[in-house]
Amino acid sequence: MENLKNIEINPLKTSSSLGAVIVFLGVKNAVVLMHGSQGCASFDKVTLTKHYRENIPIYTTALNELGAILGGSDYLKAGVKNIADKINPAFIGITSTGLSEVNGEDINATFNELKKELKESGSYENLNMAYVSTPDYNGNFEEGYKNAILALLKEFCKDTKNTANTINNNLAGLNINDDKNNIRNITDYKNSDYKNNNGKNIQNIRANVFCPFSFTAIDFLELRELLEDFGITPVMIPDLGTSMDGHLDESGYLQTTSGGVDIKDLKTIGLNNLNIIIGSSLKGLIAPVKEITGLNTYYFSNISGLKNTDLFFKFLEKISLRKTPEKYKRQKRQLMDAYLDSHFYFLGKNIAIAEGIDILDSFSEIFAEVGANIKIGVTTSSSYVNLKNRFEILTEGDIDLFGELIEADGNNIDIVISNSNAKYTAEKIGVPILKAGFPLIDQIGHNFKHRILYKGSANLVYEAANLLMKNS
Amino acid sequence: MQLKVKEELFDEPTCSHNIQKKEKKACKTAVPGSSTGGCSLDGAYIVLSPIRDALHVVHGPINCLGNSYNQRTSESKGNEIFYMYGMTSSINENDLIFGSEDKLKKGIIYAVNKFKPKGVFIYNTCVPALTGEDIGGVAKELAEKLNIPVVPVSSQGFSGGKNLGNKIAGDVLFEYVIGKKEPDIDILTDYNINLIGEYNIKGELFLIKKALNDSGINLLSNITGNATMEEIMYSHKAGLNVVVCSKALVYLARKMEEKYGIPFIEESFFGLSSTNNAIMHIAESFKDAKLIEKVKKNIELNTKKIQKKIEPYKKFLTGKRVLLYTGGVKSWSLISALNDLGMKVIATGVKKSTEEDKNKIKEFDANGNIIMLDNGNPVNLIKMIKDEQADILLAGGRNQYTAIKSLIPFLDVNQERGNPYTSYDGVVHLGRQIYLELNSPVYDVIRKAS
Repeated sequence: MENLKNIEINPLKTSSSLGAVIVFLGVKNAVVLMHGSQGCASFDKVTLTKHYRENIPIYTTALNELGAILGGSDYLKAGVKNIADKINPAFIGITSTGLSEVNGEDINATFNELKKELKESGSYENLNMAYVSTPDYNGNFEEGYKNAILALLKEFCKDTKNTANTINNNLAGLNINDDKNNIRNITDYKNSDYKNNNGKNIQNIRANVFCPFSFTAIDFLELRELLEDFGITPVMIPDLGTSMDGHLDESGYLQTTSGGVDIKDLKTIGLNNLNIIIGSSLKGLIAPVKEITGLNTYYFSNISGLKNTDLFFKFLEKISLRKTPEKYKRQKRQLMDAYLDSHFYFLGKNIAIAEGIDILDSFSEIFAEVGANIKIGVTTSSSYVNLKNRFEILTEGDIDLFGELIEADGNNIDIVISNSNAKYTAEKIGVPILKAGFPLIDQIGHNFKHRILYKGSANLVYEAANLLMKNS
Repeated sequence: MQLKVKEELFDEPTCSHNIQKKEKKACKTAVPGSSTGGCSLDGAYIVLSPIRDALHVVHGPINCLGNSYNQRTSESKGNEIFYMYGMTSSINENDLIFGSEDKLKKGIIYAVNKFKPKGVFIYNTCVPALTGEDIGGVAKELAEKLNIPVVPVSSQGFSGGKNLGNKIAGDVLFEYVIGKKEPDIDILTDYNINLIGEYNIKGELFLIKKALNDSGINLLSNITGNATMEEIMYSHKAGLNVVVCSKALVYLARKMEEKYGIPFIEESFFGLSSTNNAIMHIAESFKDAKLIEKVKKNIELNTKKIQKKIEPYKKFLTGKRVLLYTGGVKSWSLISALNDLGMKVIATGVKKSTEEDKNKIKEFDANGNIIMLDNGNPVNLIKMIKDEQADILLAGGRNQYTAIKSLIPFLDVNQERGNPYTSYDGVVHLGRQIYLELNSPVYDVIRKAS
């Protein structure tokens, strides 16, 4: 259906450069420099400012027609130097755009040249940079996000790779060195994985944690706390919890990000103990992350709902050799009660979701558990095939198509889940909309909506049940 | 090849800073590494997208529109909402190789069949402009086929900033829309005007229209808030163009004067005295004693009414210090509004202001001590606010977080403003909002806690 249209009407998908920008915003004391026309950066900046209700430190190389035709390397170099001189950030994350890429210029070469120049000049010793190629005409948000993470790893992890073996031995139970097939899902766990624990907790586990953009800031923070409660120190890449949670910094207004993952920690991720990757959209990270870091890598498509959160806790118990703390056992029982209390309102109700792959996956997981009909799904990339069975109709497309599918189904939907741009679709069929994802520009506080793990899943079913109750 | 925009667009004879500097490209100033303003696509989209019965299709890769539609606060009284919809050809790598003109055509035909609009605007962007796609040809072909105006907009962002985009928009309206239709005789009165550059943010147009109607002035066409294609097509029948708050669209007014002989004036509807002046100037332009008499009476009536309404706020606001940081025309037009409320403007941003704007600032600056602030980077703004002991910052959304994170009261007066601030009722809204913000306990609560 989508391909016949030849036009996106109320697009759901966003660009790869935006995905990369967001990753860089999860780095501490960072600014982002978009190599393109001033509009490329401005559109992203405006939308992100509205979404996060924060200053978003995005700058532009302000490429004009001369630069676009004759080459933009001078613009990029001047841009970086100007920012370094004026703002002095710890990190500049550089993305390309359709404009700067279309003439086939080797921006990566310029980037390497620039690094050399800055190093030789001797006056930018504390400046770190990473570059990721994100032409807007190629790929989507998820790819930009993934590639920016990899750009960070490639830039900062290279020196520490493969020195990790001795440290890994601290993880007594995991038998990592014997594990030939290093990528494992939780279901791969064998009892032999934790034989030598001698009844002791393992101390000082450090995990590299990769989460999708669908996690709100509070999701990031809750996950961090959970890992810490299991004795695991997370290095979150990116860390959108401490950077984008909206906190009043002690120094008030800042020209850079105020939190996020520290470059210092990025440089030593190869010395950490394991990688945890969460989110369907990040599945493609498994192999490269494992290769770059040389660490055991564990992947979870989502950590939402009762079943999947249980799996995640089992995993944490096994790697940490600790029992789940009482606090979370209670949260699990609370989620069970939330399911029981709210399931009446989901009986026979039809749900339609237009979101990126991660929210599509995690929300439908929860709503399926509580007994709703997962009717229509529209998403942004073709990597949804795994979810085909959960939905009656599932396809790639825009919000216009979403509306058409609902209409073709006889407007038989009880609740719509999407971002702010689907407001009209919901209004047209007269049903409530539960807003999630990006962009959310007509509401406030979404960064405080916790919607993963036990507690977040309970939040979500209550929120949806209330909307359904009001409308029934 | 759509690569070049008209040189003429950089050359605005009525813009005095062009005459003085003899620097035609004075409007193109973004520096690599600067914090970013919008590009010409942004500028063109701002001007044209409020036209509510047209489709607005951005021909480019997804980043040009994918993140940023559905954000304008231009209100509309029509039933159509598709002017708020984001539409884009979302070109990909294949399109670059094989060309995307065909895709663009098919996409627009699909959307036109679905929404039945009265016109289509195709916005060109950097990538197809560089690869040399002929959107002019596409537009021409589609216009014949679909039998509605299809307007190519050469708004590729590398050509320049928002301001240039505004001009490009004015240019295409002039070339493709204005003068293409005659109005029904019964919608014309003796005093027909167009407003140019009024986007009906939060319904501001409706307030202005009310004030004009009360005085017997007929708003024939509004360019472009809440406008229909038809309304703009017959705008050449107006007796006067009133350019509000847009230096960039003076270009359009000048072109209309040249071709249709419509004189134009530049006015502001921010504040009581400005609104009064604007309406008086409009009436005077028609040189009709009866109209002038009616307007005088109306102004007297409204002034009394509004002064009474703002009295409680004025009492509190008198002597309070404002730092105003906004673009172009608002750098002076709001001073007048704030003066009406008894407030003292200590500085105003002039980064985007012309020499003429600066002269106007001096006009409203009775004591000659308003600082003209050229460098509005956030650090500088905060320092200025603290040094000059300003009570509140009035600026655009991008400075909101600069201010509140520094515990400085703030009011958004740019396109994301939460209330209409123009015309008579707008003054009351403005006074009330500043009053409420200055009385919010939240800053004290936080200050004490930290």
